[in-house]
Amino acid sequence: MLNDRGFAFDPTSGETFQLSTTGLRIVRLLQQDTGHEKILEHVIEEFEVEPNTASRDLADFLLSVKQVGWISE
Amino acid sequence: MTPTLRLPYIRPTLSRLNQGPVNPFRLGTSPSCPDIDGISVPELTREHGSPLFVFSETALRDAYRAAHRAFSRRYPDVQFAWSYKTNYLNAICRVFHQEGAIAEVVSGFEYEKARHNGIEGHNIIFNGPHKEKADVERAIAEGAMLQVDNIDELLHLGEITKGRTEPLPIALRVHLSTGVQTVWSKFGFSGDDGELQQVVRRILAMPQLRLVGLHCHIGTFILEPEWYRIAAKKMVALALNAEAMGAGPIRYLNMGGGFASHARLHFQYLPPEQATPSMDRYAEAICDTITAEWPQGRTLPKLYLETGRALVDDAGYLISTVVAVKRRTLHDPVATALAAFGKNGPATVAGAPSQNALVLDAGINLMYTTTWYQPRILPVRPCLDAPTPTTVFGCLCMNIDVLREDAPLPGLTTGDQVVMHPVGAYNQTQSMQFITYRPAVVMTGPGGQVHLIRRRENLEYVQEMEVVPSHLQNPE
Ligand SMILES: Cc1ncc(COP(=O)(O)O)c(C=O)c1O
Repeated sequence: MLNDRGFAFDPTSGETFQLSTTGLRIVRLLQQDTGHEKILEHVIEEFEVEPNTASRDLADFLLSVKQVGWISE
Repeated sequence: MTPTLRLPYIRPTLSRLNQGPVNPFRLGTSPSCPDIDGISVPELTREHGSPLFVFSETALRDAYRAAHRAFSRRYPDVQFAWSYKTNYLNAICRVFHQEGAIAEVVSGFEYEKARHNGIEGHNIIFNGPHKEKADVERAIAEGAMLQVDNIDELLHLGEITKGRTEPLPIALRVHLSTGVQTVWSKFGFSGDDGELQQVVRRILAMPQLRLVGLHCHIGTFILEPEWYRIAAKKMVALALNAEAMGAGPIRYLNMGGGFASHARLHFQYLPPEQATPSMDRYAEAICDTITAEWPQGRTLPKLYLETGRALVDDAGYLISTVVAVKRRTLHDPVATALAAFGKNGPATVAGAPSQNALVLDAGINLMYTTTWYQPRILPVRPCLDAPTPTTVFGCLCMNIDVLREDAPLPGLTTGDQVVMHPVGAYNQTQSMQFITYRPAVVMTGPGGQVHLIRRRENLEYVQEMEVVPSHLQNPE
């Protein structure tokens, strides 16, 4: 369960999470099965960010999303 | 396709919310407060220094009008009385008086202040468990509305009004159980166990006094409007009962104050935007109940309200400056307990969790209400990094001087400014001069004006009341 303010409740673990606005955008794109390359393009297009920073942060972020078990690959 | 306007970037983060009382809605965004009422914060402090209390005149007037509208839409005869103790800076009292509020005072000092602010005696509601003899006499002479708190006061009133040809109109303060919260039984007479009726009987034996009103103030920061419904219902029943006993017509019901502002209690889970009821809900609970319970066809009693915090709290801000940045080690409570018994070595180990901490130039002597409430603390400069729980210390040389244990703040640095909000209720009146001078207070006007309404204290002011005996005077 994820609301539009980035508050997430994981019913399998019972844990709650908070996503930053950028994080929320990325999770929404993941929910639509958007590929990682495409997500990076979206982030750079929609936010004021350098491609290098965006790419580094995206990699970090995807790692944390994987750690909580929301994505597998 | 590149959109012409890109959003400000924040690092994408996913944080697990596992910090006990930390509320999820407090994390995840890093809002800022670059201006108050359209006036830039650095501009305000350049002129008036830091820390600085700021009150928005527009917010004061808007809050009053909204409250008045909510009640007067539903009830024909409503009068608000500004509760002086909530904030008795003259400029603030006068804004409310200009809007139409009379005064509610609880001491001779507040009474004098109200008179000084141009309020006539008959427009002053005089409450409180201790009223000095001279103050009561003045109040009687000037026709103030006395709300009697206890038997001693009643007997004293009976004595000083003996032989009056025209009976003195009085009201009785009542305390009521309205539901979940503790009853404020310190004040007034119980409306639940027959005590009030006993007192009414006593008044019936004193022809120089006449009961014309009932007063109750069920508590403060009441988040449940239904408690007012219960209180209003009981107040009407008590009024009708007093009339049936022969007291004569009860002309007014005073429902006191207690409506919540957008402050946030410690451990309050929901944010104020969701927890604080609208004025309409309070108004509905009170007005609809009185209207429904009052005998059909009879003129409704006048309704007095002594709303304090709900009118002033949200209009007040405290600007403060970061004077030092620290890391604070978080002690594991179990390890600390074990360490107390000499077990498992020191409680603080390398790599123990720690969090950001800031020292501000304002202390808890200015922010008395942090005992119960957690002010929102916003950076003045828009910050894009994610907020993390940050301990906000005050500037006093005391370990207990903590303004917030875990304010969600981005990584601020020395010289950054923050704005605390809401701070308009009770902080002014309960602040004390301690270690530092108390700051200036300004009021921002609708046209961008900034009016100084209390000067920053200085040595002369602080020492004004002191007397140095001659043998301790400096030699000439
Ligand atoms: C008699 C009385 N009236 C009004 C008030 C104002 O209360 P509030 O600020 O909760 O509205 C108080 C405050 O304690 C009070 O004691």
